[in-house]
This record gives sequence, C-alpha cells and structure tokens, in this order.
Amino acid sequence: MITYTLRRLAQGLAVVVVATFVTFLEAHLLPGNPARAILGVHASNAQITAFDQANGYDLPLPVQYVDYIGRLLRGNLGFSYQLNQSVAALLSERLPATVILVGLSVVVALICAVPIAMLQAVRRNKPVDYTLTSASFAFYSTPTFWLGLMLIMLFAVKVHVFPPVAPQGTAIQVLAHPLGLVLPVATLAFTSIAAFSRYLRSSLLDNLAEEYVRTARAKGAPRRVVLYRHVLRNALAPLITLIGLSLPGILSGALITETVFNYPGMGLLFWNSAQSQDYPVLLGVTIVIALGTVIGSLLADLLYAVVDPRVRYQRQAR
Amino acid sequence: MSQVTVGTTASSRPAADEPPSVGNPFRLALGVMAENRVALAGVIVILLMAGFSFIGPLVYHTNQISTNLSGSLRPPSSAHPLGTDNEGYDELGRLMLGGQTSLEVGLAAAIVATVIGMLWGSVSGYTGGVVDGVMMRIVDGLLAIPSLFLLVYLFTVFQASVLLMVLVIGLVAWLVPARLVRAETLRLRTLHYVEAVWMMGGSRRRMITRHIIPNAIGTIMVNATFQVADAILALASLSFLGLGIPPPAANWGGMLSTGVNYVYAGYWWLIYPPGIAIVLTVMAFNAVGDGLRDAFETRLRQR
Repeated sequence: MITYTLRRLAQGLAVVVVATFVTFLEAHLLPGNPARAILGVHASNAQITAFDQANGYDLPLPVQYVDYIGRLLRGNLGFSYQLNQSVAALLSERLPATVILVGLSVVVALICAVPIAMLQAVRRNKPVDYTLTSASFAFYSTPTFWLGLMLIMLFAVKVHVFPPVAPQGTAIQVLAHPLGLVLPVATLAFTSIAAFSRYLRSSLLDNLAEEYVRTARAKGAPRRVVLYRHVLRNALAPLITLIGLSLPGILSGALITETVFNYPGMGLLFWNSAQSQDYPVLLGVTIVIALGTVIGSLLADLLYAVVDPRVRYQRQAR
Repeated sequence: MSQVTVGTTASSRPAADEPPSVGNPFRLALGVMAENRVALAGVIVILLMAGFSFIGPLVYHTNQISTNLSGSLRPPSSAHPLGTDNEGYDELGRLMLGGQTSLEVGLAAAIVATVIGMLWGSVSGYTGGVVDGVMMRIVDGLLAIPSLFLLVYLFTVFQASVLLMVLVIGLVAWLVPARLVRAETLRLRTLHYVEAVWMMGGSRRRMITRHIIPNAIGTIMVNATFQVADAILALASLSFLGLGIPPPAANWGGMLSTGVNYVYAGYWWLIYPPGIAIVLTVMAFNAVGDGLRDAFETRLRQR
C-alpha cells in the first residue's frame, strides 16, 4: 500500500507541475504583455515598469516560472487590481460554497444512481430498463444550463416551490437556506446521475455474469443476499474511480450552474472575472480548480486501493 | 441495445496470428445502423437536423442580418411560425442559421481533436518508456484543468470566430482520444503481426500510420462521434456564457442566452426551440456513438 501511495503521489505531483505550467503559459498568452492586460490601456509606462519589477515580469521566462511556483507554494495566488483584494482572500470566501454544491450533488447523484442501476440490472431488457436507459441518455445529452432553465421555469416560475436564485453570502449563510440549494444541486446532480447509473448498470451486469455469482447461488445463498453482499459491493468499487475521473466535468458543470443560479461560488467568481477581464483571478481560480481535481482523483484512487486490494497488487506487478 | 450482431465479422473470425482484420469499418458502421434501431434513429435525426439547417434557409427565406426592433419579441404567428427574438429576427430562420454553426463547429472540432489525439496516443503508446511517461503526464496535467475553465479563459483573451472556435475546442478536447488510442496501441503492439512488420524492417512511422492507426480505427470512430456531441455542447455552453461567436452569426447556445432574459416574461418560443434542438442533436450523436461502440465491442468479444 505504501509503495502504491508513493507512486500515485509522484504521479500527482507531475500532473500538478504540468498544470502550473499551463496556467503560467496562459498568463503569457495575454495580448501585449501581462502588465498592460492587467493594469489596462490607460496605465502609464512608469506604472507598467513598476508592475513588471514588482511581479518579476522583467526576468527571463524560466526564472519567472520558478518564481511563480515559489509564490504558489507560499499560498500567493496573485492580486486582483480590480477588486483590490488578494486572489487567495477572494477564493477563501468562495471555495467553501462550491465545495458544498459539488459535494451535495455527488452525494445526491450516488443516492439516486445506485437504486436506478440496481433496478435496471435486475430487470435487464425489460420496459423499465429501456425507459430508464432512454431517460439517462436524455439527461446525459442535456446541457447543464438548459436543465437549470427548465427547472427554474417549472419550479420557480410556474409553481412557486423553490426560489429561482441561490442564497447569497458566505457558505454558512448558503447552508442556512436549504430551499435555495435544491434547484442548483439538482441541476448539477442530473448529469452525474445519468453518467453514474449508466456505468453502474453495465458494471453490475458484468458482475452478475461472473462465476462467483453462480458459486454463491449454488451454495444456497438467496438471490437478494448475492445481489447486495457480493455483486453490489464489487460493482460499487470502480464507481469510486469514476467519481474521481468525473470531477473535471462536474466542476465545469458547477461553473454553469453557479452562473445560472447566481450561486456565490468559485464558478460565478470565475465567470464574473471573465466578464471584467480580471486575469489574476481567472488564473488563480484555474490553478486551485486543477489542484482540487488532482487531489480528488488521488483520493479516489487511494480509496479504491483500500476498498479493493486487487488494484494495488495489480499495479505493482506491472 | 447491446444485442447487436455484426454479420461481417462473425463468419470470418481471424486466427490468432493473423492481423486482427477490421473489415471495412465503414461497412461495419452501415451494418450497425441497419440493425440497431436507436443508432438508426440517431442517424435519421442528424440527417434531418442537417437538412433543416442547410437546406431549410433555401426554402424558408428570412432576414437574419438587419434587425427589426419594431417587430421584436412577437409570439408565434403565421408570418413567424416561432415568433421573433429581441432584435426582431425570425426565430425559425435563426434556428436554421444556428444549426449550421453548431453542426459545422461540432464536426470540425471533433476532427481536430481526433486527429491530434490519434497521433499523440499512437506515438506515445508505440514509443513507450520515458517518452510515453512524459507524454501521458502532459495529458493528465491538461485533463486536471476542467475544459470549460480553459475555454472561458481563452475566449476572454481572444475574440471568438468560427475558425478559432473549432481550433480551440479541438485543442482542448484531444486528451481523451489520446488516452484511448494509447491504450489500444499498447494492446496492438504486442500482437504478432506488429512484430513481424518490425522484423521485416518496417519503420516506426510506417508501423504507426499503416498498422497501428488503421487497426485502432474502431475505437477512434466511436470516440469521434462522442467528440461531436461534446463539441456541440461546449459551443452551446460557451455561447450561453456570452463568449460565443459574435452576432450577426447565430448558434443555439447564444439564442438560449438571449432567451434567458425573458424566462420570467414567459416568452417560451425563445427558450424551448433552441434547447430542444441542442438536446436532440447531442442525443443523436451520442446514440450513434453508443451503437458503434456496441458493435465494435461485440466484434472484440467474438475475436
């Protein structure tokens, strides 16, 4: 387990290096130079020079990259001149709200996807299975923003059940208004429900065809016990990896969801910064999101190795 | 849906040492469409959408260039079957114009992504060793940044145009095909026929372009179909966020983005038609991809 963990950590570190390199390149993609893009067209030459010196933009690129890594390591994500606040401070306000949104939606998606997939696997190729397959197909193909709009039209405009706009303020204030969370969480969860249940259905079917199922049945174990104790447990393990792999997609979905519902998270911050061309914030959010994805998939892989010991031996043997 | 049998391969099962005969992938694809009703429905929807978008404007003439503010936001009538939008454009005609952009960008971006991914994956998998490790860590690192965040950033920096849209969406989306093709290459590399080509002195380039890629074409085609669906979704999402191709060009996501402002006014004709068009088209491409995958996987199992 220790070797496996170390190997995965080393891989994760390599991935983080590449991701920081990408954001570094992104900063240098800016038209003209970063100073001009960040300070605006009206900045004087003296201001530009001062900015370049203060941020090390006058140094050679490799040195700049090393500096950039050093600043990231010290938790310095940059400074938003438009909001006159450090990006780290902005993020510490917004990050918890996004974690709540993403976390809740993954939990909801799992709670819904497991029974749906079980029903489909047990009633394979029956009308229920076909109906649910088509439904998950439709949801999988529906853009997040359209889904959000439909939910607003249905539950906020036609029937006034839930508010159309997410609660505002800090993460705690958001949590204090659970009604306002329903539509955003549902919007984000639907795509994951479709993806998870499709995956789990085929995973369950694969497991049902395994020899160990026949052995357990032959031994006299009731169908129900075999299904819950053996098949479901075996089929659920790979789902952990799928969640890790889906994280980038879910975060992209969170960006849209937060925009649709004006949800005060990182995605909305990102979108607002894109509109005001606040590049330091855009770059800061990108690197934090990338880190979150890497840590998420790392945790998923390690958890999978704990749940299913076959994984770590297999990988080591290779 | 999973019970697709493909006539072309069942009869001619290759022996273990022969190159895994692909048959003609396009004939195989046609066979799938004939037998898999869901995939067939997908093809029909795609053809209908293409006809609607590209042939429709030839039959149904509308002015999609100059605005008509006095006739804006009209509900559906005989003159405008789907009403008009906030600038007085005929919604039905706009839907056709938007379909052109969505389909063009979707297909072109999928081709860009597939070609890059195919080359990257096969070179990485075939070369192996340190090169493979470095090339795949680059893929992992890029995958760690959610694509929409990358796209939003890039289109904040650059003004969008159709060509740039295609290139950027394609450049962001090549990672998954690269991984898939690499995995397929690792499998193909161990087969006897590849060793035979190597023994006869086949160069690396010849090996990859003549032997590895043609045999991975099944995996590549399946993924390319999904790529089209993803690219259409990406374009719609970007346009919805206000970073799409600027007017007077139209696309479904941008139309929805306008419609959102009128959700509370109940102007349903600005919201349902473009949304349904996106969902139908994306579903159709996903259905075709699913059908193809079932077919190719059945083929692999039979081998």
